[in-house]
This record gives sequence, C-alpha cells and structure tokens, in this order.
Amino acid sequence: MSDQSNVKFRLNNSELWGGLIGLALGGYVIWSGLKLKLGTINDPGAGFVLFYTGILMCLFATSIIIAALTEGGPTFGSRWVNTRWTKPLLVIVCLVAFSFALNPLGFLLSSIPLMLLLLRVVDPVSWSLAVPIAVLVPLGMWWILKRLLLIQLPSGIFEIG
Amino acid sequence: MDTLVNVAHGFGVALQPINLIYCFIGVFIGTLVGVLPGIGPISAMSLLLPITLSGTPESGIIMMAGIYYGSMYGGSTTSILVNIPGEAASVVTCIDGHQMAKKGRAGPALGIAAFGSFFAGTFALIALMLVAPKLASVAIAFGPAEYFSLMVLGLVVLTFLTQGSMAKALLMACIGVVLGVVGLDSITAQPRLTFGRVELIDGIGLVPVVMGLFGVAEVLLNTEQVIKRDIINTKITHLLPSREDWKVSTGPMSRGTILGFFLGILPGGGAVISSFASYALEKRLSKTPDRFGHGAIEGVAGPEAANNAAAGGAFIPLMTLGIPPNVVMALLLGAFIIHGLQPGPLMITQNPGLFWGIVASMYIGNLMLLVLNLPMIGMWVQLLKLPYNVLFPLIILFTIIGVYCSSNNVFDVHVMIAFGVIGYFMRKLGYEPAPLVLAFVLGPMLENNLRKSLILSQGDLMTFVERPISAVCLTFALVLLVAPLLPALRKKREMVALDEEV
Repeated sequence: MSDQSNVKFRLNNSELWGGLIGLALGGYVIWSGLKLKLGTINDPGAGFVLFYTGILMCLFATSIIIAALTEGGPTFGSRWVNTRWTKPLLVIVCLVAFSFALNPLGFLLSSIPLMLLLLRVVDPVSWSLAVPIAVLVPLGMWWILKRLLLIQLPSGIFEIG
Repeated sequence: MDTLVNVAHGFGVALQPINLIYCFIGVFIGTLVGVLPGIGPISAMSLLLPITLSGTPESGIIMMAGIYYGSMYGGSTTSILVNIPGEAASVVTCIDGHQMAKKGRAGPALGIAAFGSFFAGTFALIALMLVAPKLASVAIAFGPAEYFSLMVLGLVVLTFLTQGSMAKALLMACIGVVLGVVGLDSITAQPRLTFGRVELIDGIGLVPVVMGLFGVAEVLLNTEQVIKRDIINTKITHLLPSREDWKVSTGPMSRGTILGFFLGILPGGGAVISSFASYALEKRLSKTPDRFGHGAIEGVAGPEAANNAAAGGAFIPLMTLGIPPNVVMALLLGAFIIHGLQPGPLMITQNPGLFWGIVASMYIGNLMLLVLNLPMIGMWVQLLKLPYNVLFPLIILFTIIGVYCSSNNVFDVHVMIAFGVIGYFMRKLGYEPAPLVLAFVLGPMLENNLRKSLILSQGDLMTFVERPISAVCLTFALVLLVAPLLPALRKKREMVALDEEV
C-alpha cells in the first residue's frame, strides 16, 4: 500500500487552513482588481496587477491545499508542542491592550504598565529590577525624544508627557 | 584615474565628523545585534530605519550599511563562544568555532574570524568600486521590460532559496506585492485597498510592516523558548592567530572571499548561502575532511570571509540597478526612498558624493570593526550575559517608539502590532516573511515597470522575450519555478534552502 493512501483527512490540518486562508485572500484580491477595472493589455488599469496577482495567489494556495489533502500535514496543536505557548499569547494581549491605551492615556501612562507587565509576566524579573527599568526607560526615552529630538509622543487625555 | 578621484571624493564625505559618528554607531549596533542572539540585522535595521530620517541621506545610509556588515562580524563571537549563532550567516561558524573554543582556542578562532571578515570586506569594497560604475553604465540602457524581468527573477530566486514549501514562499511574495500596491494608483490616482482609511492613501509604511514581521514576531517566537547559553568562561588569549593558523587559513579565506562576493551579487543570494557554500567547499578540498566539525580553523576562516564578502557584493545590484537582492538590501532601498532617492544606474553619476561616500565609509567601518571586535572582545562577552527577559521588553518599547517616530501616527503602531501577530503565526505555520518583505518593496516598482512596458509595446507581451536580458532573466526564473517539480532538483533546493532569520 502506498504512503499516500494512508493519509487521513484531518480538519485541524494547519497546512489545509493556511491554504484556505490564502485562497480566500486571493479571491478577495481578484474581486478588488475587477472592481478597480482591469483596463486593456495596452493600457492596463488600476486593478490589472491586483487581478493577476490574485489569480497567482489562488493557484499557489490551491497547490498548498492539494498538498495538504494528499500528503497530510501537521495539526495546529503540533506546531505548539514543547513550547511555552502562553508566553507569546500574554505578550500579544499586552500589546493589543497597549495599542488601545496609547492614544487615550498617552505614551508614559501606557508604556510604563506595558513594560512592567512584560518584565513580570513572561519570565519574571525581580520587582527591584523590574520597577526601575519599567519606569526609568520610558521616562528616559520620553525625555530624549521630547527635549532633545523635539518629537512629541502622544500625551493622552490627561496631557501627561 | 576617475575611480581614484571618486574614491578620494568618497573619503572626503565619509571622513566628515558626523558621518564618522554615524558609521561608528552603525558598526557598533551591528556588532551588538550580531552578538546578541534573538535579534538579527533585519530586526535592528528595521528598528533604526526611522532614525535615518533625522540626518542627511549619507549619514542614514552609512549607519544602516554599518549595521549590516557589522552584524556579520559580531555574529561570529556568539557562535564561537556560546554555540548560538547571533545571526543566520554565522550558523556555520558554530560548527568548528565553538569546538575550537572548547579546546581552549577561542582566541585564534575569534581572531581569524575578525581578520577573515576584514580582508573579505576590503576585497568586496574594492570590487564594488571597480564593478559598480561599469555595471551602472550598462544598466542605463535597461528599459522597463528588463527591470520587470530582473525583479521577477529576484523574487523567484528568493522564494527558491527560502526554507520549506516553495508554493508558500510564492504565496507570500504575491501577498507582498498586493500590500505594496495599497494606496493611490500612481497612474490613475484611484485608491486601492484603502478600506476608506485616510492613513492608507499613501500606502502601508515599510517601517511598521518590517518592524512587525521581524522585530515583534521575533520577540514572540523567542518568548516561547527558554534561551539557554553555554558561555565559554575561560580567559580569551592569543587573539592574533599563529603562523601555522595563517598558513592553513589563507586559502579558505581567499576562496571564501571570491565565492561569497559572487554569491552576494546574485539576486536572492547572500551571506547565509555563501557561508554554507564556503564550508562545503573547504571540507571537500581538505586533505583531512574528518577534522571539520572538531575545531578546524578552516571551517571558521572560509565561511566568515564568505559572509562578509557577500555582504559587500549585495550592494552591487542595489546601487547599480536599484534592485535589492535580499531583504536587508530591500530595507536599505526603503531608507533611500524615505530620503527621496532612487538608487540605480543614474545615482553614481547624479549623486557621486552619496555613492562613493557610502563605499568609503564601508572601508572605514571595516577598520572600526577590527578594533571593536579584537581589543574590545571582553565587553561583548559581558554583554552575552544580559538575560533575554530583560532585553525583550526593551526591544518592544524601542519598536513602538521607532514606528511612532517614523510617522508621528498611532495608526502605524497598530499596523506594527498587527503585522507582529501575523508574522508570528506565519512563522509558526511555516510561511517565511522574507519573500513578503522583498515583494512589498519591489511591488510598486514591479507594477510600474510592467504597466510601462505594456504601454510602450502597445500590449505586445513578446517585448519580454524579444529583449535578450529580459528573456534570460525570465527563462532563469521559469527554470527555478519548475525545478522543485523534479525530484533531483527538489533535493538540491532543500539542501541550500535556508532560514534567513535564525
């Protein structure tokens, strides 16, 4: 029996989903290209390159899907085996929260808690080291940018910084 | 004679105090990122891209170039002393370099790596001085069809050499092209893929994309693992290699230099491939190949010379054709564009101070690196002890500040975080970001040249095959696209395919 006949279809095959996302993106790019007008071959329009790039994307994504279906592929879970997957997740949560807080709170009020969280949550650094770094580094950067380089960082609704 | 006058002019520019300071900052940061595992030259250059805005174009580019070739020097230190490559091009140096260090020969290993890098860097610069103006004069005759085909070739070579599935790499390149053309169409002024956001009218910024994909994503990947370091703690002595070491290393250094320089010029090639190729060559030529892997100094001298020569050679396509052969050069192209400059055949004649100034600064930078990497080796060893859990929050803060300063816009910070998360998942699922970034930079140029050539030829697609240079490039690209379908070539590709970001 050939190896290929042993390949089981698995819905959590990460290769399959990667290909499907690529296919969806390609489809969207084709549609955008058509909407923008293709023009003619001797006078290509704004959607010309998008349309053909979208077609190529669909082709490559289809080949990834076919490979995933015929050869199988690793599951999503296996991509994170033996890794500390919660750590990058925590960093992502911190960064997303920071990105929403930056405008309303300003640079200083948002970056000091961000630094403290990153220093304490991932691979905890002692408080005696984390607090000075979290406070002094953003303050120092803010001072250099504002006073020396005259770059205004967001000061937020409290106008701190 | 002209070359000598130009070189003198270049040194006049490079020796200006401000440019010397920028050059020093560049090579210092380059060595630093080379030494520190977890942050490579691409991340560092993307972090510092906004800083180039504050000075003159010469200063900014001099600093960026310094980071690149500086990281090639610094990377060897970590490989030899810790057995962790500071950047991808130093992976090979780990094999014999660390074995030498374990046998108490860390000094000669570091010494030969630094001297090899210096000689190779010098050779590459002299070759750059001689080759670039000649190639630029030929490139003036290039039309849009040639440029389009060259860019296609560059992208295909990079996808061919990217680790893993070629279909994935090609998909990434296509996504890069799409992201690159977001914003107003340069011919019809129609907004494309802007989703009604004013911030996207000028397109997506290079800085947030690269900082996200390389800076933030790299940090996210590194936090998954516990980075263990086995630092050689013995005192480092005998940095000057012995006569015997020189005798054994001269051949590998010379061969590595020449091989690296030519591989560096090729689109998609670069420091990583050349170091691997040099190691394989030396092992094959050696009368005692069994010594390799057990502390053979040739295994350090050859690859280190090769990766530095390649770093110099990579400047040729960028400076003469305006086409970056790899992601690092794409970032440099970004720096040029930010300053309103377009590298290419006309740059050498229209802006000789800039071109020759950069070349001369690279020579000065090489000398600075020799001083930084030999007498100051103790300082770099101390830096290796900086824990990653303290380093990564600082990297994140600097990326945020860097992105914000590049545009004074919080939207770009959001874009960077989004690309950071996307980049992390891409890497986890085996999609390499390098083709995306190169295509992102080349995308608008690729589109312009394609549309121009179609308009000029009145829609005749034969224009791409009737012009010899264009035909050769497209044929070569086609061969590389078909190659993975053939089992023998597929195996070869897997052998040379490399992860640019270690």
